[in-house]
Amino acid sequence: MKSLLLLAACLPVTAQWIHYPTPGIPRTPDSKPNLSAPAPKTADGKPDLSGLWTRTNNPNYFFDLTTKAEEAPMLPSAAALYKQRLAALQKGHPSERCVGHGPTDYATLGQPRRIIQTPQMIAILYESYNHFRQIFLDGRALPPVTQPAYMGYSVGHWDGDTLVVETSGLDERGWLDMNGHPQTETTKITERYLRRDFGHMDLQLIIEDPNAYSKPWGVNLALNLFADEDMIEMMCENEKDYRHMVGK
Amino acid sequence: MRHLLILLATLIPVSAQWIHYPTPGIPRTPDGNPDLSAPAPKTADGKPDISGIWVAVNAKYLNDLAADGINVPMLPWAQALYKQRKDNMGKGRPSERCLTRGVVDFDTIPMNIKFIQTPGTIAVLYEEYNHYRQIFMDGRPLPKPVQPAYMGYSIGRWEGDTLVVDTTGFNDIGWLDNNGYPQTESLHVTERFHRRDFGHMDLQITIDDSKAYTKPWTVTVAGFRYLPDTEIIENICENEKDFQHMVGK
Repeated sequence: MKSLLLLAACLPVTAQWIHYPTPGIPRTPDSKPNLSAPAPKTADGKPDLSGLWTRTNNPNYFFDLTTKAEEAPMLPSAAALYKQRLAALQKGHPSERCVGHGPTDYATLGQPRRIIQTPQMIAILYESYNHFRQIFLDGRALPPVTQPAYMGYSVGHWDGDTLVVETSGLDERGWLDMNGHPQTETTKITERYLRRDFGHMDLQLIIEDPNAYSKPWGVNLALNLFADEDMIEMMCENEKDYRHMVGK
Repeated sequence: MRHLLILLATLIPVSAQWIHYPTPGIPRTPDGNPDLSAPAPKTADGKPDISGIWVAVNAKYLNDLAADGINVPMLPWAQALYKQRKDNMGKGRPSERCLTRGVVDFDTIPMNIKFIQTPGTIAVLYEEYNHYRQIFMDGRPLPKPVQPAYMGYSIGRWEGDTLVVDTTGFNDIGWLDNNGYPQTESLHVTERFHRRDFGHMDLQITIDDSKAYTKPWTVTVAGFRYLPDTEIIENICENEKDFQHMVGK
């Protein structure tokens, strides 16, 4: 939980989201957002995931993607690295140097993110670090990994009403969560997004990596629509945070 | 220039290469090359569509927003601060601490950017720093600034085929260009984007900041070239790696 220091250092004390009624969303007779209305569709009949979302079901997933109900099936080398990171109280996490997060820890982070959807692509804009990620929907294949990246390279397709996103090309310096479950350049992440109704989206994360884990494992997340609000700018400034970090 | 070159050199990995993928659905000549002089595309509702990957035509206005020799009407304190920054070779610029750029210097930096135009919002993804900006197109007014920001708060509207974007809510930490034209929290930036044809977009920027300048000033900057068949690559800024290379007093 020492990473709370980091969050506290990054968010200005005066932070407040700008309240503005989201145009065009279904509302109840008393003008509140109707979060149980049907999920919207795009002009071409696909579910429209657009909007501002926050993670809701369990804040601990950000720190530990397994929540310890069952430990991730780590190979010995990954288990040793994980143990070392845990013992160091998360010191060394890329976010402490403003490098940010990757797809899994941005997914489990509580701060809002906006999904922008077009027929060809989805962009996810994260409040945290003012970073973004792209998911290509135009049918391209995952490319050979030429340049590993913290966000990796993501392609998506529709399986009925579920958006299935596959990501590879991840940088082995990224951590899957704050506690430090490892990833390598062979890590593959599969995300399944299902917008159940207007205000609620299920997100299943599956991690596969024959060089770090003995079998696929994952977690089920829930996202809530964050209606009538917007993100605030959060830029990370290194020197301000780094000196607050504790650990070995 | 030394400063900029050093910084860029340290930010881009030596092995960097953009992933080549033919952009689907763009006009092409009979030999399969992108037709950059084809007409600018339109959205379903008849507005110009500026979506795509673009890059500033050159770095001239990134280094000096007034590179064309126009008179920038600075107030004395702004003049003094500008001179100090320029004499110091730009040291102290927020970007050296990974703190991003603002609307104006992101408009003039020759690194890939992507516009994603949807009816309610235009998102701009910047390769540099992996940062983004939002422009609200839903008719909302500019809010009362509550939290000054590098990107400010932007609303856009169409004037004929020109996208006019108004931005306020800036902080006073950002610099308008690498030389260091100052800004204050009263800065109001107006950008006028005009996609001339498929491959070219013009941009005019007006700086209105009565706490730093005696009157608004306008620059027609280099504008953008469309970049087909490519992508943006991840460029995350890591502080300690760059800071030690900075020169200046």
